[in-house]
Amino acid sequence: MREDGRRLAEADGARSRLAAWRVQLLDRRRFLLRLAGGSLAALFPLAGTAAPTLDAAARWRIVDAVQRHLFPSEPDAPGAAEIKALAYLRFMLGHDPDKADDGRFILQGAGWLDDMAQRLEQAPFGRLDEAGRERVLRAVEKSEAGANWLALLLLYVIEALLADPVYGGNPDGVGWRWLAHVPGYPHPPPGKRYMELRRR
Amino acid sequence: MTEFDVCIIGSGAGGGPVAYTLARAGRSVVVLEKGPWFAEADFYKDELACCRRNVYTPDLKYERHVIEDLDDDGAWVATPTSESGWNFWNGNCVGGSSNFMSGFFHRLKPVDFRLLSEFGPVAGANVADWPIGYAELEPYYDRVERLVGVSGRIQAHANIEPRSSPDFPFPPTAEHPVADWIDAACAGLGYHALRVPRAILSQPALGRRACEYSGYCGSYGCASGAKGSARAALLDQAVAGGHCQVRAHAKVRRLVSDAAGRVVAADYADRAGKRVRVRAKVFVVACQAIETARLLLVSTGPRYPHGLANNHGQVGRNLLFSAGGAGGGDLVYGDLDAARAADLRVMGPFVNRALDDWYVIDDPALAGGRAKGGIVEFLLGHPNPIARAAPARWGEDGLLWGKPLKRRLEHGFRDQRRLAFEVFNDWLPVDDCCVGLDPAERDRWGDPVARVRIGGHARNLAVGRYLADKAEQVLRRMGARNVAGHVSPAPPPNLVAGGCRFGRDPASSVLDPDCRAHEVDNLYVSDGSFMPTGGSVPYTWTIYANAFRVAERILARL
Repeated sequence: MREDGRRLAEADGARSRLAAWRVQLLDRRRFLLRLAGGSLAALFPLAGTAAPTLDAAARWRIVDAVQRHLFPSEPDAPGAAEIKALAYLRFMLGHDPDKADDGRFILQGAGWLDDMAQRLEQAPFGRLDEAGRERVLRAVEKSEAGANWLALLLLYVIEALLADPVYGGNPDGVGWRWLAHVPGYPHPPPGKRYMELRRR
Repeated sequence: MTEFDVCIIGSGAGGGPVAYTLARAGRSVVVLEKGPWFAEADFYKDELACCRRNVYTPDLKYERHVIEDLDDDGAWVATPTSESGWNFWNGNCVGGSSNFMSGFFHRLKPVDFRLLSEFGPVAGANVADWPIGYAELEPYYDRVERLVGVSGRIQAHANIEPRSSPDFPFPPTAEHPVADWIDAACAGLGYHALRVPRAILSQPALGRRACEYSGYCGSYGCASGAKGSARAALLDQAVAGGHCQVRAHAKVRRLVSDAAGRVVAADYADRAGKRVRVRAKVFVVACQAIETARLLLVSTGPRYPHGLANNHGQVGRNLLFSAGGAGGGDLVYGDLDAARAADLRVMGPFVNRALDDWYVIDDPALAGGRAKGGIVEFLLGHPNPIARAAPARWGEDGLLWGKPLKRRLEHGFRDQRRLAFEVFNDWLPVDDCCVGLDPAERDRWGDPVARVRIGGHARNLAVGRYLADKAEQVLRRMGARNVAGHVSPAPPPNLVAGGCRFGRDPASSVLDPDCRAHEVDNLYVSDGSFMPTGGSVPYTWTIYANAFRVAERILARL
């Protein structure tokens, strides 16, 4: 599956949309797996059965910490903080009704991640050092649904890195510059973002 | 209730030429388009809008298809696209999918009009000759060059189609330096690289601006108006002339026919869901192949119990896609001297190169002897950065993140550029590739959705593989790394035709040679549905040309 996604990398041609669709299909299948295995116990098998009682702000802080771990800042390469990955994610989940499922899934997962950190490392995720965070996230990845949760967060990080700055990530094109990517013109202004064009 | 000379359902490459021609001749025309009306000022180089979110196609939750595919045990399994995510819509907006094409344009060749006579029958396939020949379509190919705007330059070439004008009306679009490298590699292999024209204006003309060479073309709407979409090239002009109105957000639910068998009205739902009835003398359906068949099938009437123009059970049969595949190789900057590396980094111009040396294959290596082949098109890998980066998160043993992911992204973006190819060959018409009505699934208006069976012929793959091998040879000779080609039995949903064949016999075709329904005097189909066989190139130029031809036939009767 993954190999197919790569092999069918897009070309600027008539078949490019085939490639995009197939990739989308693969992501969609992962999404379905996620829902099918969607009991929270299946998501993080080591977590307890009682739902944690974190408030939304605390969950967002955990998502922020996960993003920074998945995409760390370096002197010569922007990380989640520099590309405003959290702001981008919150913008998407807040402005695109199609992403409501993603939002619920991401925030639920944050609560259970914290619970799992407690069990494995005897501390909340936010208090773990880098090695501890890595151990917990690799444990999460072992379940299919946990891997899907992480893959989804990574996808939003990559979008924040490379989508147009009008969506709240990639400030001043920092992600494009890092990868020596030449964007196309014209850029979308506020008022012509995709969720606004949908109302045409 | 309003009356027009002509009511056209669908505003893409099939509808645009009819609206343009008839409105320019002073006939009253209404075009009903299901989607919204975007203009140049709405198109930006926004990867999310073009390619990662539904903006130009409907939400599959509310509007879907049901796709029938073979499972591993050889049974047909029906899956709604709302479950698979495999989107079969292509540009539901004014101008249709022509807004989002790459615009590399090929005519059919004379051999495409008579596959049965040239090559004989193929077991398991419903190959048929067209009822017209290349010579009858040629003047309309020529008209498309001038009215839609095709940029290119004719060069001496073994397989070139006969033409009535000496050269293209506009000079070629700017070409990427890698085009010369392709020429050299092909020459070294004894192949004949073909300079491909584009339906993109290389200079301001026809009331439109020239190409701005952003490097983002295919899948994107054109912000300059240079791309020859049906909207920019034809409908905008038709509307400006005062005899044509385009109604966006007008989803036609039924064509209403009377006891005499004539179509009398189109019933559509407007944006608020209110029913509106349009009367006209002539009706033209051009909703792209799948939806054209669906609309006819759902439009039963006193004389058409099984759907409009379907008393012989031919509507929806012999649906065509484009067979073939895609592939490419990496040109690594470190393998090149500084000047060539700088050339390779250039963004914006087009590659404009293809190979048609094997349009007819006469090679014992391909089982079955002399056969219809196809083309190879070369292009630079699409610049869309999210699409390129997203797969990098999948490592060999699980997810990749942290610094290893970042190093992988740096390598993929900074160290190399992808040169891609696409293979196009005939999708043989077969019984198991067809459109019907799904018995259960309904769209947001409560109408049955199309159920599409997507079976293909084994020969499609053999020919595609033969062509992909040639393309891989060229890339290897250029020094590309990781060269691979992938030939797929999966249909590309954006390269679709057939389903309402034209022909002389009403028992085996839906349309007559003028693309008028055999059974319905005032009904025409002007999109790609008419093709009995699809040729081995993208369909757009042929759809445009045939629609201009059909428009003349309609004009002659009004």
